[in-house]
Amino acid sequence: MQNITRIYALSKRNVILRYKNSLVGFFWGFFKPLLYLLILIVVFSQVSNIDNFVLYATSGLVFWFYFANVTNQSIASIISSAGIIKSLNIPVLFFPLSETLSELFNLMLTLVVFSIVMHWFGMVYSWKLLLVIPAAFLFSFFTLGITLILCSLNVFFRDIGILWTTMQPALFYLTPIAYPESIITNHYAFVVKFNPIYYFIKLARGLIYSPDLPSLALWMHCALIASVSFVFGYFIFNKLKNQFISAI
Amino acid sequence: MNTENLISFDNVTVSFWQNNMGVHSIKDLVSHRKNPFTNKTILKNISFNVKRGECMGILGRNGSGKSTLLRTIAGLIKPQEGTMTINGTFAPILAIGAGLELELSGYENMNLLLSLYGKSRKDTNAIQSIVEFSELSDEVLRMPTKRYSSGMLARLAFSISVANDSDILIIDEILAVGDQGFQVKCMEKIYQVKAEGKTILFVSHFPDDVVKICDTAILLENGVISHRGEAKIICEQYKSLF
Repeated sequence: MQNITRIYALSKRNVILRYKNSLVGFFWGFFKPLLYLLILIVVFSQVSNIDNFVLYATSGLVFWFYFANVTNQSIASIISSAGIIKSLNIPVLFFPLSETLSELFNLMLTLVVFSIVMHWFGMVYSWKLLLVIPAAFLFSFFTLGITLILCSLNVFFRDIGILWTTMQPALFYLTPIAYPESIITNHYAFVVKFNPIYYFIKLARGLIYSPDLPSLALWMHCALIASVSFVFGYFIFNKLKNQFISAI
Repeated sequence: MNTENLISFDNVTVSFWQNNMGVHSIKDLVSHRKNPFTNKTILKNISFNVKRGECMGILGRNGSGKSTLLRTIAGLIKPQEGTMTINGTFAPILAIGAGLELELSGYENMNLLLSLYGKSRKDTNAIQSIVEFSELSDEVLRMPTKRYSSGMLARLAFSISVANDSDILIIDEILAVGDQGFQVKCMEKIYQVKAEGKTILFVSHFPDDVVKICDTAILLENGVISHRGEAKIICEQYKSLF
């Protein structure tokens, strides 16, 4: 119970700090994918032959931005909380965890806003939209795993943070978010198959965009990736956490 | 009088990875000529006991390991060797302004630190006692703490720490910043805390303060306890270092 209060307090701090001196504040969670969507519409909608490009791109974008925001916010979470870490005995895990939770809250709000807006763009309301919630939780475990690896390595090598922000656009374009999967020739299919984010985007798209339910195999696939990522990330974080205090 | 040991250290050794990377890092890293990290020992074979209600001073030159020792006691750093037993709760370590979030206002910082310390957010008594003790005006407390002077930061930090009802109070070189009025007030508060039978660990570069507050003291030199005993004697030893 005490720990819940602590994580809540940290998450609240994250939100206040992030949108301090910003006019629209929390709504950036919604505006950021929207602006990106406009860019993608201008660049891609004429090239690709997807039905309902807006809904296709949005379903992937919202999840992509969740992933990008969590990793970008958390990567420095330990370094920037040096003052607290050096004076209070609270588990260091709470810092990346609270970043993930405040972004998850942001994602839920964004999904609600988008589900209203996307109705005009032909999104069909049905019970299967509710399955977005378990999908988002699976994706969160995956994201948290990646985040734990990134933020703990970043304590020792600050290059990791810089490298991550620089390489992010590459990862974005390697994931079929703005273009259809079908344009990837067999020769390069392995690139997509090895990209774990692809499976989660496919799952989200199956729930929001396409009329058919995503297959059970896809769900299992995502659950497997999420647990491997989380366990591995947690393992690395735990190995390194005792050394953080001397490096920050 | 209850004489149980609240803190006991037995041959505790603390070491850290130290980053060796300099300008030539990539070259060295690639050619495997240098391990990027070496293990550096900060505290060596530290043994001491602190009884309930005792007030112990920690003296030493800059870089002798005082802050590392405090952080080890507070459980922030895990020792590599030796055993340590702690039977009590801590107030956050009082370094100057450490733990305060500079972008947040005084009030927001209070709420954050109290919650992190595990207090309920509705604990208005704690907030009130912080406000009263710090003597900072409502207007000041609504400002982001980045605009505070170092004395104001020290006031806020000290007030938040003493508002916590904990068994052990750790004071790390804080009294040097506040104005005279606040210094006197802090000393009074420390005496009051001491009279309540609480345990205090006091780091200071002013031996006279240590003699006034502490019963016992230790002198750290290069990560080793070189002298241990009655505060008065240790303070003389400390003065003779310079």
